[in-house]
Amino acid sequence: MATIAYEPKRPNIASANVQLPAVRDYEQVDDEISATLRPTKAWFAALLVAMACLAIGISAWMYQIQQGLGVAGYNPPVMWGVYIITFVFWVGIGHAGTLISAILYLFRAGFRTTIYRAAEAMTVFAVMTAGLFPIIHIGRPWKFFWLIPYPNWRLLWPQFKSPLVWDVFAISTYLTISTTFLFVGLIPDIAVLRDREKNPTRRAILSFLSFGWRNSEREWRHFARAYLFLAAVSTPLVLSVHSVVSFDFAMALTPGWHTTIFPPYFVAGAIFSGIGMVFTIIIPIRKFFRLQHYVTLNHLDAAAKLALFTSMVVGCAYLVEFFIAWYGGVPAEKDYFWNRVFGQWWWAAWIMLTCNMILPLSLFSQKLRRNPTWLWMLSITINIGMWFERFVIVVPSLSHEFEPWQWTTYSPTWVDYSILLGSFGWFFMWFLLFIRQLPVIAISESKEIVPPRVRHSHAHTPADAEDFEPQTGRAH
Amino acid sequence: MRGVLGHFKELDSAVEAITELKHVRIGDVTVFTPTPRHEFEVAVAPPTSPVRRYMLFGGLAGCLFGYWIAIWSSTYWPLVVGGKAFASWIPYTIFGFEVFVLVGALSTVAGLFIHAGIPRLTLTVGYDPRFSHGDYGIWVECTPERAATAAALLRKHGAVEVRGER
Repeated sequence: MATIAYEPKRPNIASANVQLPAVRDYEQVDDEISATLRPTKAWFAALLVAMACLAIGISAWMYQIQQGLGVAGYNPPVMWGVYIITFVFWVGIGHAGTLISAILYLFRAGFRTTIYRAAEAMTVFAVMTAGLFPIIHIGRPWKFFWLIPYPNWRLLWPQFKSPLVWDVFAISTYLTISTTFLFVGLIPDIAVLRDREKNPTRRAILSFLSFGWRNSEREWRHFARAYLFLAAVSTPLVLSVHSVVSFDFAMALTPGWHTTIFPPYFVAGAIFSGIGMVFTIIIPIRKFFRLQHYVTLNHLDAAAKLALFTSMVVGCAYLVEFFIAWYGGVPAEKDYFWNRVFGQWWWAAWIMLTCNMILPLSLFSQKLRRNPTWLWMLSITINIGMWFERFVIVVPSLSHEFEPWQWTTYSPTWVDYSILLGSFGWFFMWFLLFIRQLPVIAISESKEIVPPRVRHSHAHTPADAEDFEPQTGRAH
Repeated sequence: MRGVLGHFKELDSAVEAITELKHVRIGDVTVFTPTPRHEFEVAVAPPTSPVRRYMLFGGLAGCLFGYWIAIWSSTYWPLVVGGKAFASWIPYTIFGFEVFVLVGALSTVAGLFIHAGIPRLTLTVGYDPRFSHGDYGIWVECTPERAATAAALLRKHGAVEVRGER
């Protein structure tokens, strides 16, 4: 059986063709994707680094609990700082997973197939990370459950008109649904691992996790329908979650925050940052596990176009903010935006503008869109730029409110930086453990875009596959 | 439960076998496939999955609960904020929506489990690990007298292995 590799002569023209030309059959999919579960030295080294970062973060948090929030860089009235910035940053990262798995699924965008599993796992771990920050921020983490509505002897209930309570509902729903979506999609793949497993203990665990999945047509039929509806409700959920996060700001009268553009601006920024993090993760994975023929240049190219589009939406939102500040004629608003870009916080604003608006314009070049090294470097700048976007939203507004006596400065301390570092350690630790235990590329969905073996086809070629005209795409 | 299990390497062979099995009505047919295929859906012609109803009713129940918890607790402990009504339905739409999605999605998964018959303690008869790997399987549940006919039909359509199971 010959392996075929039919790369189009003008790859960009064929970017809609997201089939996997170098994958012969279903067995190859199983073998190559399951191979990612074998531990390597690089994996252990990466896990060690992640756990070291996490240890630093935990130590700093313990110190903060012991000493009080004064050790963080808060400087009244700047009482939202690195923790809230990082909370919004990680919630944003968590958006691309469900975007790629749900929205692109509904739109039948084929390039999602081989990247959505990594993006979904990234979503779950990013939201788990984000959820820690409001708890760290409140200073007395053991009181966080006061935000949850439950019957209690004090007969007290949360204030349902508060955006912070909206956040609790939105984030907890998003985490639950993202985890459910990830796990439901994993069931058939866990069954594949179960059927390949030789070790009886591991096999028993995988049998338990696969719920006795047998790949019957009946199971697939209900699975496909359930998956479709999960995608259908996850789509508005994605849009709502970051809209609700933006209400934390937009409901206040603070200059720079009280604006109706915030929900779409936050959603676009979240998707942009999430795609940036997908590149940060998936490009090393495809290289180290030699999966370039699964996550092809066509896939990266298509995802890069999405990054370019969301970058331009975000850039447009920045410009509209400046325009409205001028056009609205409110002196405090004008003064604030001037201070943001040319005053006290110019350096943060220009990092944001450079990383989020200017550098992504390079993706107009097809050559750069198809260059994984460039995409990876750009993704790092996108991550930095999007963290600074949240810095620019939070800190300059609070440090430059209506009255000059309120004007102040803000500088994070080593505790803030350590907890920020720890959040990356926490996130990557979970992600690394995930890719060691479960397939980072969806096995069953990858098989859907591999032409099936048919009777009259001995050598697997596109022409043979066309004879039978197999239909691709998840049945529903 | 007894019957015949046919093991196929090619998609079109399996589809043709199912079509004929449905035509001659030897017994109930269960198809195993490593990935969902429209071809099987057409050949088996199953009824539409009822999982969508779980989403509808679960979602509606969740939506009502989301509004109810916010409205009830606001009136239970009446506290005027910004001169607004105790129960402000516009912000409470967030709770209605979020709980709609939460309960609707979890109900959908429950529907999947109920109708797909999972969790299942054993893989039962008529399953082979090769069906998750890359091959197709057809399990024909039939009486012993009709087993030979079913086996012959499966072989005729290119089954690489046919075996009786019970």
